[in-house]
Amino acid sequence: MDSLHAIGFYVSAALSVAGGLSVAFLADRSRRGLALAVVAIGVAGIYLSLSAGFAAIVALVCYGGCAVLLAGSAYRAVEPATGGRWRQLGAIAAAALMAALAYAAYRGDFNRATYFGGTIGSAALGRRLLAHDALATEAVAALILVALAGATLAWRARDRTR
Amino acid sequence: MNVTLVSVLFVAAALVAAGAFVASWRRDLGHGLAGIPLMFAGAGTAFAGVSRFAAVPAGGAQLLGQEVAVLLSVVALAAVALGVGLAGREGPR
Repeated sequence: MDSLHAIGFYVSAALSVAGGLSVAFLADRSRRGLALAVVAIGVAGIYLSLSAGFAAIVALVCYGGCAVLLAGSAYRAVEPATGGRWRQLGAIAAAALMAALAYAAYRGDFNRATYFGGTIGSAALGRRLLAHDALATEAVAALILVALAGATLAWRARDRTR
Repeated sequence: MNVTLVSVLFVAAALVAAGAFVASWRRDLGHGLAGIPLMFAGAGTAFAGVSRFAAVPAGGAQLLGQEVAVLLSVVALAAVALGVGLAGREGPR
């Protein structure tokens, strides 16, 4: 991997992690959406520096869509579900998860893996998605259909009870 | 400056942990939804990294990890859409 790709990777990684932590601490809904959009740009940059251009475009669209959904006016706050002690325990568990995953990555003998640069390969990826692994793609399409239909039904039920 | 698989996995671990932190730290349930795309992004980053650093098969490039990363992105969007819809139903009117 050349220096340009490496710089792009580390800048994108910093953007995505900083954006992710900002999501936790920002109070305003629109700012949280903006932070999630920064995460989308960062993740797309990571994918792009790993020569996964098609995945970068899909990630930018999908995570950007998540940011729009969470920052949009349709969003409603839900009653507080957890107390302060559980939140602190959750934060400690997240830190423990980070430590465990980082330890597994460090001790997993991945240092000898070599980088295989290559073309973006959108055509080959499309062949895999729509021919070789079409069942997985159809399963995800069915999941999206169910999710969107469920979201629509939930909104209709809410409007009916108004 | 070089990027290794270990550094990619570190970034993936940081994203997953940040998602778990957001999901647990935000006070209300709807705000915690923002942790879902973060965790999926971390998993996708790990898959894309392993795909890029894995040995290339004789027939061509190793693309399974990129494929899973694409599918995870789409699944994250679907999960957030459903969550926002349910939160809108249960939230204050």
